[in-house]
Order: sequence, then C-alpha cells, then structure tokens
Amino acid sequence: MRLPTRESSPHTATRIGTWLGIAFGLCFVTGVLSHYVQHPPGWFTWPTRPVGLYRITQGVHVTSGVAAIPLLLAKLWTVYPKLFTRPLVKSVPHAVERGSILVLVGASFFELVTGLFNATQNYPWQFFFPPAHYAVAWIAVGALLVHIAVKLPLMRTPAEEVRRGPSHPGALSRRGFLLTTGGAAAVAVLATVGATVPWLRSVSVLGTRSAALPVNRTAGAAGVSAVDPSAWRLTVGDRRFSLAELAALPQTTAELPIACVEGWSASARWTGVPVRDLLALAGVEPGDVRVESLERDGIYRASTLPALHARDPLTLLALQVDGETLPLDHGYPCRLIAPSRPGVTQTKWVTRLKVVR
Amino acid sequence: MRWLIGALGVAMGSWGAFLLLPLVDVNLALWFIGGPVVHDLLLAPLLGGLGLLVARWVPGRWRAPVQVGGLLTGVLLALAVPLLWRPFAGSPNPGLNDRDYLVGLLVAVAVIWLGVLAVTLTRPRADR
Repeated sequence: MRLPTRESSPHTATRIGTWLGIAFGLCFVTGVLSHYVQHPPGWFTWPTRPVGLYRITQGVHVTSGVAAIPLLLAKLWTVYPKLFTRPLVKSVPHAVERGSILVLVGASFFELVTGLFNATQNYPWQFFFPPAHYAVAWIAVGALLVHIAVKLPLMRTPAEEVRRGPSHPGALSRRGFLLTTGGAAAVAVLATVGATVPWLRSVSVLGTRSAALPVNRTAGAAGVSAVDPSAWRLTVGDRRFSLAELAALPQTTAELPIACVEGWSASARWTGVPVRDLLALAGVEPGDVRVESLERDGIYRASTLPALHARDPLTLLALQVDGETLPLDHGYPCRLIAPSRPGVTQTKWVTRLKVVR
Repeated sequence: MRWLIGALGVAMGSWGAFLLLPLVDVNLALWFIGGPVVHDLLLAPLLGGLGLLVARWVPGRWRAPVQVGGLLTGVLLALAVPLLWRPFAGSPNPGLNDRDYLVGLLVAVAVIWLGVLAVTLTRPRADR
C-alpha cells in the first residue's frame, strides 16, 4: 500500500467522513420529518408532545447543517490531491465513481449553502427553496450511500497501516488536524445555536434571533392593516364569534414555543381559547381543520391543522401573549398556536376555522 | 452489504433526481455545480496557498496555532457572509437577523487570536 502523507490518509478521511455522515444523517432525517409535518402523507402522524418536539428536530436540522460546513471542507481537504489523479478516468467503474463524487460534492454544497442562506432569510437564487432543498437532500444522501458502498473496503483499513506517514514538526499533526476540525465544527455551532438555545444567545454572535419573541412576518409585509375589533368576526363552521365573545369564553394559558423552519425558536406564554372548545361550541365534528387568515394571498395565508393537534387541549386561538393583548405583528386579534408545529403553520390574523375532513 | 448500501443510494438519489427534474433551470444548475467549481478552483488553492505562506513565514512554534486560528476565523467568516451580505434578503423582521453581526464577528475573531497568542506563549518549547 502507498504510504499516505499527512492529512491525506484514508484513516483521517474516514474519521472526518464518519462525523460528516452523522451530521448529514441527522440533517436528512430531521429535514424529511419537517417536510412531512408540513406536507403530511396519509400514513404520517406527528405527535403533539413534547410541545417542543418540532423545536428540537428543526434545531437539530439547522445545527447539524452548520456543523457539517467545516466538516465538509475538512473532508475535501483530506482528499483534494486525489482530484488531480491521472489518468482522469481509468475505467468505466472509475468514471462512475468520480461522477458520483461530483454529484455528492455538488449536492452537499448546494444543501449547506442554500440552507445557511435560507436560515438567515437571504435568497440569492431564483428557484423556490423548499422543494429544491428537499429534492437535492435525497440526491446528497443517495450519493453519500453510493460513496460509502464504494469506499467500504478502504474504510476498514486498520488505522495502524496509515499512521506511519511522515510527521512534520511544527505543523498540524494528524491528531491536530482532527482536533481542529472538531473544534471548527464546535465553534460554528456555538456561533449560531443561540437562535434556538436561549442561554447561548449572547455567545452566538452569528445567531439569527435577537428578540425574546421575534416577528417572522410583519402585518405590513402580510398586507394586513389595522383590524377593527368591533367589525372582526371569527367564523367556525356556521357560527360566528365576535372578539368580545371569544374573550368571554374560558381561557387556557400555556407555555408554547414558536419554532421556525429556519431554525430559530422562542417560547412564550399564550392565552386564548382551545380550538377544540370552539369546534364543540359551533357543533362541528372534529377533524383536520383549515385555518384561514386575513392575509389576502401568499402561500402561508392558511394552514391545515391535523385532527390530532385540533383535539389537543393546548392548541389555542391565542388572544394574548405574555399577559398582553396580541400585538398586530403577532396576529391580532387572534392567532393559532399549537404544540409541536412549525412556526409557518401557526397562522396569524385568523378569521375562519373550517373542518376539512 | 456493499451492494445493498449502493442500491439504496442509487434508489434515493434517483428519487431526488425525479423530484428535482421539474425544478431544474440554468440558475439551479449553476447553484448545483457552483459548489465543487468554487471549492476546487478557488477555495482549496487559496487555503493551500495560505498554508504554504504560513509554513514559509511563520516560525515553527507559532505555525500550528496560527493554522488553527486561521481556520476558525475562516469558518466564522463563511458563516457571517449571509448575515452581512444581504441584497437578496426578504423583508426585514423585527428580532431576526438584525444583530450587529460585524461587531460580533470581530469580537469572536479577536477572542480566537487571543487564544492563539495565549496557547503559543504558554506552550512548552519541546518541539524546537
């Protein structure tokens, strides 16, 4: 076997590859879950407890993606010389292998870079992010599995055989390189994870969230102007409720997080009427509930609340947050807040609840 | 086992390609191929060149800490790009992406280089 040089042994590449594989695996599983929560296939159910479940899975999604950025760069650094191997292709299988690596690297960068930009609400591309990010995730993980299958024999090479490379005093050793890579992943996570882990907010200088409870879409951006509380009505089935009627109903207060697909989350104390009480008062059979907003258009003007969530006693049409009347930017006169749901489905400025099945 | 993993990979990748096909246009294709191109032709040679400069000009005792400090700085710079360069950002949202990221970045980088300084000055000189 060729004696490998520093930082380019299969051993180092395998180690970093394993870390990267774990990060990609976490990112993929939590990403597919998030996709299914928002576009549930018939067989899929998403639990309502713990109330912060989506906060956790989506926090893991964005955090593992951030950690994967330095890991991917380190991984490519260990194998960069192989890019210049000549001949360019030796055989058909070799060509297929190189091609699969190009797909793997392309898909990996695509996922990490678009994910990082999207998490900061920055969209320097012309395609629609969610379906593209979702489709390329399957390509990335598929290409990764092909890559693992091809490299499996090399990954099993005993570490001793590859540790005999020359050592360069003063520069980074193999161990130093691994430690630096792990440290870089840790620094990347620390710099950003405060967006979802409150006690790290001051450490995370590159965290996206700055306020205790951010507003993700202002009333202005949604085209919702001041709401007249005496004219506003909530329609549930055939019944209509005025704001005063809603406020006179028995109220529930619950500590529930807003957990955004973009990875930030924030907990608040919400007070309002449980959706299941409203459905019962209106005399409609519970089921999946379509929640519609005052927003005139936009793909997020309505959401569908699964039956499991609609039945949950903590799924509220909130009138207050942290003891104050809901501000217009947070959805005045009332907004949906349900346990364990993506923030984008916690519809604001609600006007209608409609059981759809 | 290998064949099973490989077949699963091909199936998952094909599913992804099937989902992606209706979305493909020039912009998306550029974003897909852009990563490897920018990395292989720009980023990796740049990092390699910086590594050579460090190896050439930085004294032995400082070399490893400077490399580590440089890499950590680079990672922070990369993460800061979407927060500092925002001509394509969505409409502003109160409480999101509105911290003073330049100051935060400078403080974090300063902490890293203080660490480099501290580690180098306190490290035993055994390796000289």
